[in-house]
Amino acid sequence: MGPKRNPRKSSQRVRTPRKTAPPAPQRPFRGTIMPPFKDEHILLIAPGSQMTLAQLGLPETFTPAQSRFPTRMFPAEKKGEYEPYRVNEKRQQVKISNGTTAPKPDVEMKDAEAATPATEAAVKPEGETGATENPDESTKTVEEIFYEEDVASDEGAIYPIQNGRIVDWPCFFALLTHVYNTLSPPFHTPIMLVGQPAWSARDREAIAQFIFEKFKAPAFSMMDSALAACYGYGTSTATVIDVGKGKVDVTAVTDFAVNEHGRGIALEGCGGDAMTDRLVELLGHKGFTREMCEQLKRSNITEILPPGTPLPGAAATARQGANPAAAASTGGPDANDSAPRGPGDGTQTGTDANNEDEEEGVLDVAAIVSGNTTEYLANIEKEKTTNKKGATDPKAARLPNSKKEKASFQFEGFAPLEGEKAAASGPRQYVRHTRDIEVSVERFLLTSPRSNTGDRLTSGILEDIATQIHHTILAVPDATKRSELWDSLIIVGCGSKVKGFTQALLGVITQKFILSPSGTIFTSEIPSTFTTPLPTGGTNTPAPMGQPGPMYHPAAHGVNPLLVAATHNNPGMPGVMPGTPSMDPNMASHYRSTGHSQTPTSTKTLKLPEYFPDFKDQGNSNAPGASAGNTGVNPGASQSGHGSEEAIFLGAQMAAKVFFVVDQGLSKGYMSRADYNEGGPSAIHEYIL
Amino acid sequence: MNPSNPPQAAEYGGDEVSAIVLDPGYSTTRAGFAGEDAPKSLIPTYYGKYNADGQEKIVYGDDVFVTPRPGLSVHNPLNKDGIVEDWDMAERVWEHSFMSRLTGTKAGNPFQNGLNDIANDELPAEMEVESDEKPLSDSPLLMTEPGWNPAKAREKTIEIAMEKWDTPAFYLARTGVLASFASGKASALVIDIGASNISITPIHDGMILKRGVQHSPLGGDYISSQISALFKANSPQPITITPHYLISSKTAVEAGQAPQAKYKTFPADKAPDASYRALLEERTLAEFKECVVQVWPGPTRLSAPGPNGIPNEDMARTYPGRPFEFPDGYNQVFGVDRFRVVESLFDAKAAVPDPESPFPPPTPAQTIPELVKASLAGVDVDLRPHLLANVVVTGGSSLLYGFTERLNHELMQMFPGPRVRVTAAGNTSERRFGSWIGGSILASLGTFHQMWISKKEYEEHGPNIVEKRCK
Repeated sequence: MGPKRNPRKSSQRVRTPRKTAPPAPQRPFRGTIMPPFKDEHILLIAPGSQMTLAQLGLPETFTPAQSRFPTRMFPAEKKGEYEPYRVNEKRQQVKISNGTTAPKPDVEMKDAEAATPATEAAVKPEGETGATENPDESTKTVEEIFYEEDVASDEGAIYPIQNGRIVDWPCFFALLTHVYNTLSPPFHTPIMLVGQPAWSARDREAIAQFIFEKFKAPAFSMMDSALAACYGYGTSTATVIDVGKGKVDVTAVTDFAVNEHGRGIALEGCGGDAMTDRLVELLGHKGFTREMCEQLKRSNITEILPPGTPLPGAAATARQGANPAAAASTGGPDANDSAPRGPGDGTQTGTDANNEDEEEGVLDVAAIVSGNTTEYLANIEKEKTTNKKGATDPKAARLPNSKKEKASFQFEGFAPLEGEKAAASGPRQYVRHTRDIEVSVERFLLTSPRSNTGDRLTSGILEDIATQIHHTILAVPDATKRSELWDSLIIVGCGSKVKGFTQALLGVITQKFILSPSGTIFTSEIPSTFTTPLPTGGTNTPAPMGQPGPMYHPAAHGVNPLLVAATHNNPGMPGVMPGTPSMDPNMASHYRSTGHSQTPTSTKTLKLPEYFPDFKDQGNSNAPGASAGNTGVNPGASQSGHGSEEAIFLGAQMAAKVFFVVDQGLSKGYMSRADYNEGGPSAIHEYIL
Repeated sequence: MNPSNPPQAAEYGGDEVSAIVLDPGYSTTRAGFAGEDAPKSLIPTYYGKYNADGQEKIVYGDDVFVTPRPGLSVHNPLNKDGIVEDWDMAERVWEHSFMSRLTGTKAGNPFQNGLNDIANDELPAEMEVESDEKPLSDSPLLMTEPGWNPAKAREKTIEIAMEKWDTPAFYLARTGVLASFASGKASALVIDIGASNISITPIHDGMILKRGVQHSPLGGDYISSQISALFKANSPQPITITPHYLISSKTAVEAGQAPQAKYKTFPADKAPDASYRALLEERTLAEFKECVVQVWPGPTRLSAPGPNGIPNEDMARTYPGRPFEFPDGYNQVFGVDRFRVVESLFDAKAAVPDPESPFPPPTPAQTIPELVKASLAGVDVDLRPHLLANVVVTGGSSLLYGFTERLNHELMQMFPGPRVRVTAAGNTSERRFGSWIGGSILASLGTFHQMWISKKEYEEHGPNIVEKRCK
């Protein structure tokens, strides 16, 4: 009839293929009969470009995520389906004999636990090949196809999220399904998903639709990652800087509301990868692979020095590059260790680069118990360092890392076992080998401007991030909040784990943006005699809102309010009542964007509350193991020290507790099944946090 | 909800689509879903262009402010009047405004979203065709235009929306009308202070009174040029703005002292274009406008004597100055000058002279009071008192400190008879996005459904239908 017809029609075209799913079990409306959600039945998923964190249930005290899944899937044999691990197809001559049970080991292999496939595989195929050589009248050989999961390989993997954006939807959904199935939550489990800033409104709708229709979740909440970080830090106003793998997000959150305008979304080329790239650029000609640089970046000898700090042994910079012979020093005793060794003693931890390492791990408990623990541990630590340093000057060993010209880190690599036997039969095997690599001052230069700057003219990623922060805060319409935003920076994301990142970033901000005190000493708001825009009556008149005077935000400007008051001689500024209701009664907060003082006069980061001991500030650690992608499903065991960089996940736990358990939907923190049935996927925008 | 009611069907079967509202301005482009209270997407209408690896690359969105690039030049597809000049680029900038935050990339083939199990061989072949859908094929689109948009441009707009974006339904509304809707009025005199223009739009019963539409170029950019003129004439030394991207670090200096900063230099073949620098200088000027600039509150002009006989200028001098620090660290306190830079919006004679300015000195007819007068002269005498009682102020530059107060004084002096009532949203985003919010309200009204121009109607009547339907 009307023109309205058309939009309906065309939109139907998009959705028609949805098969009318079998009617889901009918659920009563929230608030009437629906049983309350329980702590242990809440599913949290935080997808990232590299790692997807997930957890079923909220523990007594919040901990780093219990499960970590690499954000990648492998195409399955059937088009459009995905497997969490790479599946190798192997054609093998198998003899079928009457009595023997030759193929059996392979059956076992298929079911072998992901963590330890190497053990059986290493031995058994050998026997098998021996068997085929032995001619036997009663057997014939046929070719059979075996599938095996290759947990360590990421060859051919599809990464559904790149730079925060979902680039491959089927794969992303497959990943969600994999996470869901692995944790296998019970029926009545609400789901909270931490959303990336880069997701568009339509993306969020698609995800909401998927969650409700595939998982039949009773309730779903999508929380903005920046807001989650604020929850983690227990603050309502903050500037959240999320340093990810390939991108950085900068978000200004004021009063628990995300400021979409001016938000720095997925700044490319600013994340952890950019730092690795820089290291590759610096060290590539010395024979460093990207993997080595990645591990170097993660090692504890790598540090970003605050701007202006001289590099240790300044001469080294000049020498760098001119002397390739001295470079690529693969630390002393184990220089020849790069050749893969045979399968270890049945475990993946395999070879030990340095025999002392074995003993280092074992502490003499008796000594601890009997004697002075700290002293004992300190001694061990000292020995360790001196050993690593190749027992040189003990004084040099005590220098802080930033003063040392050279330092070495332990590189751990997986090398595929290339023996003929291994290639012919059994799953692909890997040997972990370690060696020490010494690096010079390059380890301090990972945020320095790249020589091949590509198409940007900025000097280094820190400046890019600082500029974005400035832009983002300046775009916040409520000018009175800007000062507070500068003083509450939250830096999260694994890219920020590099030692010194925060300090260096603050240094750059100070250099470029902090205002000099002389410009701000008398900073105040415009004197009150002129502030009030005259209300001319009528409900829509601008309310003479909260005079932006020193009385209102004395602390925010770092100026003595008495001094300001004296200078401006505001005779008894009346405490103006928040004015007449404006057009939109919901808009409780009024603010001005003009007539305020400039920012920033200072800047600092927030501290993570101390009551979560598991989230320590600065969780830098020399995380062993290859780049995270290779560790497979490994619930945080080997990776120590997830710290404040995962505050987003901490915040998600708190928010889940509040929304799902404490107020049971009163604050519209989640969308229930009934809401979904009523409003459809697009209703998710009313609940997005 | 009555618990005795049966629960609703467990599956959501509807297909509600919210319309997209696109409000393209000269300085920023706003886009968002109808029914929401602020546009989700706010991007600069400016776009950057540079060459890398022998290819021309185009930068949309805020990135242009953040990352300087080799040889980057900045352009605007609109001309100073707010009318589209470069249609190709306007289309792409607008597309970016809703693609980046709203519609995004398509979730793809519904068969692959994991919700539809189908046997392998059932995949219909024609599904593949749908994968390259056009960006808006499932959202109706409401766009805004200035009151003086020529018919040709309107037709071109619907052509893009229907043919390039494949929107199922379209409507084109005047910014002035929408701004009056946003403040809840069907009849109003809308004073819109934008970046490139100020405009006066009389509206009666939701219809624009075309003969009364007035506009002049004394918008935010003009104020910037006035500030620049002030900086040039500054004593003891002229002030030059060095944008942040040219500075690597600065040192605190006393007020009025020469800046001490480390500057960055770019090789000549890589240095960004002058237009880029101008855009970033504008950022600093915008901050200056927010922090320092103030409209003389009246009741009389800055150049006139005040009520007690003291010249207003002398009065203004007694007020404490406002400090401002520039990106290179130079800082200074601005006294009476901060009133001068905006005075010419009301008093053409008060303009800060600058022969190099791209803006010619304003004529008296371009000032706001004269525009209002001219606008009212163009409408029916009987309507005038009603319009004056419903003056709506909108647009980003109207946020200048003290602006509405002064405007109120000016109008009351000019029209002492009828009752003058000035309405302005107190909230920054409501003021800046007045016309977008009006569009959001309009497009979500149930009664508006009959107003849409459907695709079918467009195909039947051609682009000219916009002239008939969107009056």
